[in-house]
Amino acid sequence: MKAVELRNVTKVYKTKYYEVVALRNVNLEVELGEFIAVMGPSGSGKSTLLNLVGCLDKPTKGEVIIKGKRTIDLSDRELTKLRRDEIGFIFQQYNLVPTLTVEENIELPMVFKGVSKEMRERRVKELAEKLGIYDLLERKPAELSGGQQQRVAIARALANKPSILLCDEPTGNLDSKSGEMVMEAIREMNEEGVTVILVTHDETLKRYAERIVKLRDGMIVDVSPDGS
Amino acid sequence: MYLQMALRNLGRAKVRSILAAIGVIIGVTAIASIGIFGESLKNAVLENFKDLANEVIISPSRTHGYTVIDERTLMKIEKAPYIAEIIPVKSAAAEITSKKRTISTVYGLDEDDAREMFKAESGRISFNGRCVVGKMLAEALELRVGSKIYVNGKLFKVSAILEAEGARFDINPNYAVIISQEDFDKIFGDGYDMIIVKVKSIEDVSKFKEYVESRVNYKEKVVDVFEMKSILERIERAFAQINLFLMAIAGVSLLVAGVSILNVMLMSTIERTKEIGILRAIGAQRSDVLKIFLYEALILGVFGSVIGACLSFVAGYGITSLIVGKTEYVFSLSSALYAFFGLFFGIFTALISGLYPAYRASKLDPIVALRFE
Repeated sequence: MKAVELRNVTKVYKTKYYEVVALRNVNLEVELGEFIAVMGPSGSGKSTLLNLVGCLDKPTKGEVIIKGKRTIDLSDRELTKLRRDEIGFIFQQYNLVPTLTVEENIELPMVFKGVSKEMRERRVKELAEKLGIYDLLERKPAELSGGQQQRVAIARALANKPSILLCDEPTGNLDSKSGEMVMEAIREMNEEGVTVILVTHDETLKRYAERIVKLRDGMIVDVSPDGS
Repeated sequence: MYLQMALRNLGRAKVRSILAAIGVIIGVTAIASIGIFGESLKNAVLENFKDLANEVIISPSRTHGYTVIDERTLMKIEKAPYIAEIIPVKSAAAEITSKKRTISTVYGLDEDDAREMFKAESGRISFNGRCVVGKMLAEALELRVGSKIYVNGKLFKVSAILEAEGARFDINPNYAVIISQEDFDKIFGDGYDMIIVKVKSIEDVSKFKEYVESRVNYKEKVVDVFEMKSILERIERAFAQINLFLMAIAGVSLLVAGVSILNVMLMSTIERTKEIGILRAIGAQRSDVLKIFLYEALILGVFGSVIGACLSFVAGYGITSLIVGKTEYVFSLSSALYAFFGLFFGIFTALISGLYPAYRASKLDPIVALRFE
């Protein structure tokens, strides 16, 4: 089984006055445990690709298959479940819930899944130790640096042991040193078996990926192995 | 966890949340305190009529041609086992003459009954060729104890003038002359016009009524039986209606509170659009989002309503002591019931108001929400 398969995927956004073709006949396969980077200028369809793989949206044509499941066949409820259990999101702006503590933020996906309090605590501890944020658990996101927030976000993304980690410009708001720490953490998770799809236009992140997918104008123009 | 999230979200906009809760407090206090006041008012009024509840009035069945109740019928009724007290009354309209003339009601009563029923303001109630006059008639005809009056031409000396009575349903002596039943018979002829019966307990009212129907009215309707209880019931019903109306007016303030919760929560959903998108992205179902927002409404509702319910006793006590004067009914079971009723309505209103914003939040498209800044 592949982690992600895109078959002839086309995505068209319609507004009242015009249509935008965001993706055009895209075919892509991502193996379980792979680390790929999706690169391309803004407007090339990176975000659309991420939304489709992240089960936030369905394709206009073609099919997106996440761990053997065709997303077009799924209801909102089932898609949400797939996101919750199989996919972890990491955003450029960290997107932690400001009212909750670090610990609660990491717990949140497990709360939605219905994991017991005891299990949640154990998992939080495990992740916090791994990501070096153990001392921050009682703090609120606003009290943390960007790098720390992003590591909390990684912990949250991994809470339900997803098989796919979707990273949308994870280092975009970070200085190079904390950016590197975050990327190291992501690489570590990848080494433990998590499939990573990294969307970025930062050329320096190329070296982490096994494969680089280049997008332009909604089409894949180049797939190349790690450039480094 | 949802509860905690809801609490902290409310805490994020403290002033706004507190204002919304104050709306609920005012609404609930208004409804419940008016309910408590109305109940106290009703009880205070009904207390005056409490003795009437086990009173039954028997009158001749005029629709069947009976103008008086005869001695034999009275004797039959007197045998009923439920009677605590029985007062046969004769009454008629007559021309009363002293220095002035007027037409007025004349009652024929047993002397002992009269003494029990009325209090003399001056003089002493005694018949035997003398009469007793009600306060208002005495004033109208300028009578005093010892004055002479003619009832349909027959001379009586006034032995007592009665205290003014409040509203009564059986006998109203204020504008009447009361004489002995023997004297009455001499002027107006035999028969009773009304029999007032007090039964031993309120449960005996219907038993007594059945007794009369089967022993007296078995062949033909000779007498009509009227339960005073039914008047009380009507008064009670009227009060309940007035109370409901007042509470509905107070309910408008709760409605306003509901709108303010709706407003606060709509603002909150708009401000937190991005956060809703995040929650949805990391695996929150629509129902989870719905729950989080409904919890917020619920917290506002419970918080406001509990305080409102407590305050309603204070407010109810205040209004009651100001208007009714008697506050002993404020702290009763029925008041607690009204407080509970207000509490329930407060929470209910808050939940209803929270429903739409929560629904809207849960329906947000996660992609659009995530892009929201």
